[in-house]
Amino acid sequence: MAVDTQERPSASASTDAPAQQEGRVQRYRIRTGMFAWMMHRLTGVGLVVYLVIHIWGLTALTDPETFNALIAKYHSPLFKVGEFALLVAVAYHAMNGLRIVLIDFLGWSPKQKKLFWTLGAVTAVIILVGGWPSLYALGEWLFGPGSMPTFFL
Amino acid sequence: MQLTIEIKRYNPDEDDEPHWESYEVPAEPLDSALSLLLHVKWHIDGTLSLRKSCAHGICGSDAMQINGENKLACSVLVQDLVEEDGDTVTFAPLPSAPVIKDLIIDQSRFFEKYRDVKPWLITDGPAPEREREQSPEEHAMIEDATKCIMCGACTHACPSTWADPDYLGPAAMLKAYRYTFDSRDDGAEERLDVVDSPDGLWKCYTIFNCNEACPKDIDITRWLSALKRKAATSQATTKA
Repeated sequence: MAVDTQERPSASASTDAPAQQEGRVQRYRIRTGMFAWMMHRLTGVGLVVYLVIHIWGLTALTDPETFNALIAKYHSPLFKVGEFALLVAVAYHAMNGLRIVLIDFLGWSPKQKKLFWTLGAVTAVIILVGGWPSLYALGEWLFGPGSMPTFFL
Repeated sequence: MQLTIEIKRYNPDEDDEPHWESYEVPAEPLDSALSLLLHVKWHIDGTLSLRKSCAHGICGSDAMQINGENKLACSVLVQDLVEEDGDTVTFAPLPSAPVIKDLIIDQSRFFEKYRDVKPWLITDGPAPEREREQSPEEHAMIEDATKCIMCGACTHACPSTWADPDYLGPAAMLKAYRYTFDSRDDGAEERLDVVDSPDGLWKCYTIFNCNEACPKDIDITRWLSALKRKAATSQATTKA
C-alpha cells in the first residue's frame, strides 16, 4: 500500500500525461445489483415522464365535454400498451424500492440477490394479474372479439 | 491450455489514446490471472507496466478490470475466467481513474478520499497505560470491515464514482465505518460530518458493484447502510 507521504499530492506529482478515462458510462459486467439499479432508474425516469402527461391530461377536467373526449382516446390500443407499460414500471419501481428499503433500513444486504428474485416473482404476478385487462383489450383488438381466454374476467 | 490475452495498453510518451493489444499465453487452470500478465512481461513484451508486490492478495497492488469487472489479479484463478482452451481474457486498468501507463492508475485521488474520512483512532481522554481493550463482541462489529486492503477495486467499480469523481466511494466510507463503529473510537461526529455530505453516503444507491468487486468478500454495502442509519439518526438527535 504505497501511500504518498505528501500532505496533498497533486495530479502533477505523477507522470506527464495520464490518460483520462473518466465518464459516467463505463463498460462493465452487469450483475444483479447493477441491473436492478439500472431498471430502477429507467422506470423512475419513465414514471416522471408519465406524470407530466398525466397532469397535463387533468387540465381537461375543467369541462365535461373535453374530459369525455380525452377519456375516449384512452380506450385506443396505443393507450392499452401504455397502460401495461405503466403498470410494469410502477410494479417494478415499487418492489425494487421495497428491496432498497429493506437493504438500507434493516441491513438485508447479504440477501440482496434472493430479495431481487423473490420480489421479481411478486412483480411478475402483479403485472400478469393487474395487466390482464390491458392485454385482453389488446388481444381483442389484434385478433378480433372473443379471441382471448376469459379465466380472469 | 493456450489463451489469448488482451491488454489495454497506454504509453504517455508514444500514444494519444489507450489501445488494445493481443498476446498468446500458455496457462494452467490453477494459475492466477497475474501470472498471465507476468508471462507477457517476462517472455513476450518487457515494456508492459503493471503494479504488483506480494502476489498473494495482501498488498492490494494489482486491482484491475479483468473480463469486464474489477478484480485483484493475483487472487483470481484462470479456471474461473475461461471455459476452454483458446478463450480470451481481457485486462484493463481500473475504470474512471487516470492512467499513468498501461495497467497503472494514478491513485492520488483515491488516497485523498481515504485521508478525508480521518482513518485513524480519535479519542477524547488521555492514552491508557496499556493497550486499549476491546471485547470479541465489539470487534465482531468491525471485523469484516478491517479486512480491507485498499486495492481500489470497489471504488472504481461504483457507477456513482464514474458519474462523480469526487464521490468518496465505498473504500473510504468503509474505512469511516470501521473507525466510527470501533468501540475505542470517539470521533464519530467528526467523521460523520465528512460522510454525511453531498459527495458522501447518499450517493450510494445500493448497486452492489463494490461487493462483487471486493477480493476480500467484504459486504461493503451492508456497512455503508449501517453508516447511513447512524448518520440519519445522529442528525435527527442533534437537530432536535
